[in-house]
Amino acid sequence: MFNAIKNERPSRIDYVQLAAVLCLMLISVAFVFSATTVNDAGSTIAWYKQTYFKQIIWFVIGLGGAGIVCLVDYHTLTRWAIVAYVCSIFFLILVLVPGIGTMVYGARRWIRLAGFQFQPSEFAKLALILALAHFLSRPVDELRQRHIFWKSIGLMVLPFLLIMKEPDLGSALVLIPTGFALIYAAGTPRRYLVQLIVVGGLIGSVFLADVLLAPPKYRVIKLQEYQMKRLLVYFGRDYAAYAGPNVSEAERQRLRERELNDRYNVQQALIAVGSGGMMGQGWRQGQQNALGFLPQAGKHNDFIFSVIAEEKGFIGSVTVLTLYSVILFTGIRIAGQARDRLGKLLAVGVVTLIFSHVFINIGMNIRIMPVTGVPLPLLSYGGCSVIGSLIAIGMLQNVYMYRKAY
Amino acid sequence: MLVFDQLKKDDPQLRFIATVVLSGMLILLCGLWWVQIVSSRHFQKNLQNQSIRTVRIPPLRGKILDRYDRPLADNRPSYNVDLYLEELSKRFQKQYAAEVSLVTNHLHWAMVQKEKELGRKLTAQEKKQFALTRAWRDALQKQSRYLVISNLVDNLSAHLQQPLGLSEKDFESHYQKALAMPMAILPNLNPVQIARFEEQSAAEPGMELEVHSTRYYPNGTVAAHLLGYLVHDSDDEDEPDHKYNYRLPEFVGRTVGIEGLYDKELHGQPGERSVLVNYLGYKQSETVWTPAEPGQDVVLTIDLDIQKAADAALDSVKENVHGAIVVMDVRNGDVLAMASAPTYNPNHFIQHPPQDVWSQEWERWTNQDLEVQMNHAMQGIYAPGSIFKIVVGLAALEINAFDPHTNFHSEGYYMLGNRKIHDTAHVGDFDFDRALAKSSNPYFIDLGLRPGVLQKVVELGQRFHFGEKTGLLPRQEVRGYFPTPKSIHSSEWRWGNTANLSIGQDRVGVTPMQIAVMISAVANGGTVYWPRIVSRIEASDESPAQIFPAGRVRDTLGISGRSLRIVHEAMTADVESPEGTGHAAAVPGMRIAGKTGTAEVEKNGEIDKGSKITWFASFEPVDNPHYAVVCMVVSGASGGLTCAPLAHKVYEAIQESEKKPHLKTGILAESP
Repeated sequence: MFNAIKNERPSRIDYVQLAAVLCLMLISVAFVFSATTVNDAGSTIAWYKQTYFKQIIWFVIGLGGAGIVCLVDYHTLTRWAIVAYVCSIFFLILVLVPGIGTMVYGARRWIRLAGFQFQPSEFAKLALILALAHFLSRPVDELRQRHIFWKSIGLMVLPFLLIMKEPDLGSALVLIPTGFALIYAAGTPRRYLVQLIVVGGLIGSVFLADVLLAPPKYRVIKLQEYQMKRLLVYFGRDYAAYAGPNVSEAERQRLRERELNDRYNVQQALIAVGSGGMMGQGWRQGQQNALGFLPQAGKHNDFIFSVIAEEKGFIGSVTVLTLYSVILFTGIRIAGQARDRLGKLLAVGVVTLIFSHVFINIGMNIRIMPVTGVPLPLLSYGGCSVIGSLIAIGMLQNVYMYRKAY
Repeated sequence: MLVFDQLKKDDPQLRFIATVVLSGMLILLCGLWWVQIVSSRHFQKNLQNQSIRTVRIPPLRGKILDRYDRPLADNRPSYNVDLYLEELSKRFQKQYAAEVSLVTNHLHWAMVQKEKELGRKLTAQEKKQFALTRAWRDALQKQSRYLVISNLVDNLSAHLQQPLGLSEKDFESHYQKALAMPMAILPNLNPVQIARFEEQSAAEPGMELEVHSTRYYPNGTVAAHLLGYLVHDSDDEDEPDHKYNYRLPEFVGRTVGIEGLYDKELHGQPGERSVLVNYLGYKQSETVWTPAEPGQDVVLTIDLDIQKAADAALDSVKENVHGAIVVMDVRNGDVLAMASAPTYNPNHFIQHPPQDVWSQEWERWTNQDLEVQMNHAMQGIYAPGSIFKIVVGLAALEINAFDPHTNFHSEGYYMLGNRKIHDTAHVGDFDFDRALAKSSNPYFIDLGLRPGVLQKVVELGQRFHFGEKTGLLPRQEVRGYFPTPKSIHSSEWRWGNTANLSIGQDRVGVTPMQIAVMISAVANGGTVYWPRIVSRIEASDESPAQIFPAGRVRDTLGISGRSLRIVHEAMTADVESPEGTGHAAAVPGMRIAGKTGTAEVEKNGEIDKGSKITWFASFEPVDNPHYAVVCMVVSGASGGLTCAPLAHKVYEAIQESEKKPHLKTGILAESP
């Protein structure tokens, strides 16, 4: 198929990828509709105020954004990389300022701007890709110098720490594989990376061990309570045991209750996915969805996959996986066909970013990843996530449009 | 592979990234396969467990009918006001929101006051004491729920003009345990209340009038002992593995009476309903239905008219009299009436009357001396007294021990050794007819002491199956006692025993039911039937009824027609001759044969004058016997004064009943 295309006049746009993107958008609207209108509470609102309609608006805006990104050659675009990076860092700092950042569920992630809320971390992800790609597209010889390596690590770690501070563990975590993929794809000597990963892995293990297993008084790292809880749930640790031996019986009881509550969402999502079976229970027929067992606040965004999996079964989940695979592998192909290293790095950055989101989010629904609150690109409801994802796709298409002439 | 072909051969980094992405997607695929295909059963079960509640629906209990299909135990609709909590959940939330804002405002105000007082901002630690804690929120939630409910109940109470109470504890318990089920707030509305409710309730959400089926005994106390009673059933004992989440209120028969004995047949098969609940436990919808199968109807051999007359007759003696009346069809042993006093109202076990009445009833029910729970027709052992003279007479006639026409001179007492046995009959000459009619004790003691008579009496008694159960109502029957051939030959047996037995005292104890069987056999020419009370059990659908055959022969007396005729004549004289002891039983237009009896009860070796057992055993018509009527009253004046009038009333009812041929159009297969 691709050979056939190659023999003709090279197409301007990667239509296969675009088709997959459009399919995901359709699925998104259908299941955001299902998740938000299946309870009678949701159906009383006027149609133009409904969540699914807003999602359509976001898609239109996002597609517009992606179109604009495609208009300019990515070389011109990356000239603004440093500006974009500095801006995003500025907003990431701004969001931490009480009064500017809006506090939601104990985290400051949102900035209210002219009646709209936006999440600086979503754009920081893109800015990081631009900045790192720009920085690493220098001659390969320079990449052998250690200070270049450490600088690129620094570029990655700065937004990571700021996002961790919000706190938003999920968004911060996706920066790590994206950054490493860029550094690796650029041609940085492998030993640097291996050394870093070994050391980083060790530190990570010690960190986890300290957080999860150490008795309270030996704990060095203090995590936010909700992050702590999510980790404990994921690793199946008993809250009461974690709290240490000197807690009163009442406190122990309270902890046990909270543990049950916290396990609840994860468990309900898993029941939803599992009870979908092969064919699913049918659109808007999912009991976990309709009866409200899925988390009310999250089922149209972070937990949208469990709704799809419950209502469309294994067939539905495989369809979603296939569509993502099409986007990811066409993305990798775009990276391979890119005119220069800059284009390749941009493509790799976008592919790993999307992959990390997909893997963490779906993994969370089937309990192979902890619950970290990462949206599923293009499927989850949310303006920032949708627009960010579509702009990222626009960047991919941009690289494709200005690829090497065959 | 397609993707890898596209990659430049000399780009290992890209190939590595592609591999990582591919394996990531494969891991997800495997994970999904595992969760959605391999373990989907498990998760579907989880899903069911948390969202489906099964409800047991009680079946419609079968009826108990008399021989002409008139109901003795029926079902009637009862109207309850039920609250559907799922329709109130929005109100709960609204109330809760209002409460929370009230409390929050107050807390904020208190905090500002405190800050003013201290002249500085509070620290985070200090602010904590002005925060709304989780426990506080829970308490508020609980409080708002109850507030909403109690307001509704108060409104209802005002509309219906009846004080209603709903305790917070009851409501909370229902909320926690059976949220998906409607909550009954007022059972058994009367018609006025129903009208008021229908009129006013349009505005009230979540409140509905529900119809339930309730057991109902249309005749109140009539045949209460025979029918038994129901108790509230709430345990899961008989259910395998406790499979229901909820069960609707229901009654079952316990141990006694037809309700108890045939509980399984009357009960029917419970149905099942599945209620889908949402994450809060409120009902979302009802899904699967297995309708309940109604119970089978039990058709008795009882004739309601006669039964009512028997109960009324006993009732007319005096309050709380101890006694029993049994009416039997002598041709086949069918029990047409079985009444016992003192009686009770089985309706009151279903729906308690007002508290003061109920406490009195309960007092009666549990009073040992009153013996309300006892079926005197089958559970009491009594000395038959003079009615046993029928057996003695038959035995003596059968072995030709005497000439029934020869006169016997009585001094008004009988000297047995140096013991003087008193007699109610006067001094004078007696032939058999007169002796039986006047119930002369010396005459029958004399007969009993003649050679061979005792043996024949015991043999006859065994053929009547005295001292054995009739098997009619297994848990409501006692055997009584009667000498065996062995016991009369033992060294313990004395002349005195024979003399006492001859006048139905001492070593013989019978139930009124046994006497009914005896008198039936005497009347029908010598066939002892197994008495029958259930004629058939029929399902409401077309399936064939279970029929209990009529006229099962238990034994025959082997008594000659001559002996029976002599006894019949003597018994007829007892009722028809004005000087007969049973003359009070006579009904114009009916030819009744009867025998009175008055047995003395010995208490602590002395004769207790206050508690004589008085009897009247009879059959009708003399020429072609059909009915046997046996009346027994404890502490009556005498058989003739107390019991014969009762039989008179029953015979009047029989006469009335026979005039209603329209009722008796072959519904019950009459046996020959």
